[in-house]
Amino acid sequence: MEGEIRLEELCKKFDDFVAVDGIDIDMPPGEFFTLLGPSGCGKTTTLRMIAGFERPTSGRILLDGTDVARVPPHQRNVNTVFQSYALFPHLDVAKNVAFGLKYHKLAKEERAKRVGEALELVSMSEFARRKADQLSGGQQQRVALARALVLRPRVLLLDEPLGALDAQLRKNLQVELKALQAELGITFIFVTHDQGEALTMSDRIAVMSRGRVEQAAPPKEIYEAPDTIFVADFLGVSNLLGATAVGQDGGACTVQVGDRTLRAHQGATGARGEVKVMIRPERIVIEPHTNHGEERMPGMVERSVYLGGAYEVHVRVLGGELLKVMVPNDGSVSTAALEPGAAVALHLPPDALRVLTASEPTDEESVTDESLPHDPATA
Amino acid sequence: MGSRWLWRLVALPGVAWLSVFFLCAFYAVLAVAFGNQDTLSQPVPHWNPLDWNVGYVLDMLDNFFSGGPFWTVSLRTVEFVAIAVALSLLIGYPVAYFTARHAGSWKGAILLALILPLWINYLMRMLAWINLLAPDGIGSDVLHSLGIERLFLSIGLLDEPGGWLNGQPITVVLALLYGYLPFFILPLFVAIDRIDSRQIDAARDLGASPLSAFLRVTLPLSVPGILAGSVLIALPMFGDYYTADLVSASTQTNMIGNQIDEFMRQGSEKVTGAALTLLLSAFLLVLMSYYLRTTRRAGTTAQTT
Amino acid sequence: MSRLRNPWGRPRFLALITAGYILWSVVPVLLAIAFAFNNGRSRTTWQGFSFRWFTGETGSVLHDPALRDALGHTLLLAVICVAVATPLGVALALGLQRWRGRLSGSVNTLMLLPLVTPEIVMGIALLLLFLQVFGGIGLGTDAQAIGQITFTLSYVVVIVRGRLVSIGPEFEEAAADLGAPRRDQFFRVLLPLLAPAIVASAAVAFATSIDDFVVTQYLSSDASTTTVSMLLYSSARGAPTPALNAIATVNLAITLLTLVFAYLVYRRFAGRDEATAVAALEV
Repeated sequence: MEGEIRLEELCKKFDDFVAVDGIDIDMPPGEFFTLLGPSGCGKTTTLRMIAGFERPTSGRILLDGTDVARVPPHQRNVNTVFQSYALFPHLDVAKNVAFGLKYHKLAKEERAKRVGEALELVSMSEFARRKADQLSGGQQQRVALARALVLRPRVLLLDEPLGALDAQLRKNLQVELKALQAELGITFIFVTHDQGEALTMSDRIAVMSRGRVEQAAPPKEIYEAPDTIFVADFLGVSNLLGATAVGQDGGACTVQVGDRTLRAHQGATGARGEVKVMIRPERIVIEPHTNHGEERMPGMVERSVYLGGAYEVHVRVLGGELLKVMVPNDGSVSTAALEPGAAVALHLPPDALRVLTASEPTDEESVTDESLPHDPATA
Repeated sequence: MGSRWLWRLVALPGVAWLSVFFLCAFYAVLAVAFGNQDTLSQPVPHWNPLDWNVGYVLDMLDNFFSGGPFWTVSLRTVEFVAIAVALSLLIGYPVAYFTARHAGSWKGAILLALILPLWINYLMRMLAWINLLAPDGIGSDVLHSLGIERLFLSIGLLDEPGGWLNGQPITVVLALLYGYLPFFILPLFVAIDRIDSRQIDAARDLGASPLSAFLRVTLPLSVPGILAGSVLIALPMFGDYYTADLVSASTQTNMIGNQIDEFMRQGSEKVTGAALTLLLSAFLLVLMSYYLRTTRRAGTTAQTT
Repeated sequence: MSRLRNPWGRPRFLALITAGYILWSVVPVLLAIAFAFNNGRSRTTWQGFSFRWFTGETGSVLHDPALRDALGHTLLLAVICVAVATPLGVALALGLQRWRGRLSGSVNTLMLLPLVTPEIVMGIALLLLFLQVFGGIGLGTDAQAIGQITFTLSYVVVIVRGRLVSIGPEFEEAAADLGAPRRDQFFRVLLPLLAPAIVASAAVAFATSIDDFVVTQYLSSDASTTTVSMLLYSSARGAPTPALNAIATVNLAITLLTLVFAYLVYRRFAGRDEATAVAALEV
């Protein structure tokens, strides 16, 4: 039981609309793989193609080497947990879980045993006789999980399963799901638009936009070394600055930001001309405005947002752009320095400065601020 | 998911049935209306559109507008329907409004009472009135003692005391009202019920008096429901013949439906009957399309109000 | 809050109108039913309570052949109508709902047309059809049944389709995902979920058939094809006995019982259907 999925030049068109534009993804066996992106990026369509509910327009879906793109869903050894759980309302929990076992040629005792095990796995044993609509959202989700896992699939697909749950429940289930995956060793393919969720749970993330894969890599790499502006923007605050790359200096790229010259060690250091540089909020250091020299930009604090464990300080730099700085609430920076109107200097270490060229023109639809509500429409 | 042809195949029997017993039936009307009559006065349908005798129907249309025999009947029909619909609005709107907005805990019971007539045989409901309005009936007595009979006699709505069932237009109109009112109230109720009470609250909050809030918010938003209900009862009313037949013995109150019925079942004028049916259908079609266009417009206006 | 919900300030006035309307609507029928139990021949003067018009020796629903046959014929037509219109309608609803293509709009319109067509137009169209085209079948029971099926079909489709829309495709997808082939997706998942709507639409078809008048009358041939509605129509203005009230009451009772029965079955299906599911579908 391997559970490796490989998508080769997978394409899906709905009439004129291209939902998935020729993607190639490798999903290694036994990993928690996440498809991440905003609504409409094609992640759910991709998942549905892997499950078999959509026929690809072209391309291949290889499950452990076999192309299953034309195989109907009931013949694939792949199971899905739906966003709305889709528990059968006319059956109780136990019968829901047992539903797919009918096609596995098991004796009645063996079936009952497997159902019992699956319910135990998700801590729902005592609800065996309950009807689906008598369960809460979190409970339904577990039953949906059990129903899929009882069939021992090679790959489990999860379509935004935590979307309908409240924040606390969501956090708990994230941990549980991750633990479950590690314990079972099955490949999980997880679809979400919540980047925090993706970062926490995944072994590997594929960031999608407009039907294409922007970048596929482990979370740390996605966050700290984004390949494109879209990826940088989608995960966390990116602090993008418009700049001109003028040359190289050792391993770093020399960029002109306004009238300042900065050095950036990361990213497309060989690039020339119009580029963007990005730096994560937690890497910028706020220093007294008297500090000058390389790697520093003067600016003025516009506002400080108190987050409890930190401050998010919005600083307007000379070029007119707004940079967000994460300052831990440990007393290292005096609160006076964070008052609106305070003049400060921002230290931008070259190690944290990344040169990015746009793979696509930056679009307005990519939501940068995680505090904005995401549209839960199908992706 | 699923093959495209499977579902078309599943729908096929139903589609076939409707095509044969509905579409073909209508075509038969066309073929007979544009056909001929043989020496025994039986219709000879012309199935080929190229053979159609359009002249006869056009003549009839001409007759209509030059005061021919069908003109009076049609006018009377329009009159009856218009009055009945107007009265339905007058009585039905308050009832629908009350049930939707003020019924409180009684809502379910009242709704049941409103829906109940729909399940009672129409003819039984008419029968009930025939019993009541017979010269020795309870209804007749009540109307007499309440002075309504005297009122109607004086303003000419009634020809003779106790003669409610003797060819009185007023009886026909009221019978139509009684028969079709439940069908009007229900869609109207649904429309009013759907109005978000928060919109009314908002209007009040912005300073509108109760009456003003009603006139400027509730009423415009219920217009689609009014139109829907009106069309829902007007359409069958135009084809009604049995109501007039039951509560009035005379041809003085004939509606266009009665006319058609006479031609088709009692006389040997099937061609004329078919032609009249055609014209009636065409008229109703125009009515329907007018309604559809108005609802689209009314829908958008209501949203911007 | 209730202060704000009171635009006319006098809900009592409206309540009065509503109560008045309901009484006006219901009382005449109640009186008609009451007189069905009248001991005498009058339909307007009360002469005591009796079942004679229902079960009496002469002239009752039970013993008068004209009445009895009319009732029997009405029920016969209703049973045929339900038996044909329900499966036909369910199939059409399914097919229409899942039909992806240009024609689906036109088919949808075709299905809706009988609902907005006045009965007299339907009646005449069908009359001419059975006189001029299907002369072999001609008028009579078959024609009446066919006519009724033709328009009750639309009721069934509308009811079942509404339920289909609210069910959505995801349950069948889930079933497929778990290994169920197309046949099982239908019988193990969709059908049980659809059952309440099917029962409801069958009940509506039955009630509609029982109370139908125009089409049934137009397609009748002779006295043997008389239904209760037709009887009411032809006898109402004559000098009938309360037997007419009685047969109308029986008709009404059947309709109401059907609806109540359907409602109970619906509740049972939508509520505790474990037993049925297990018995019929061997989960």
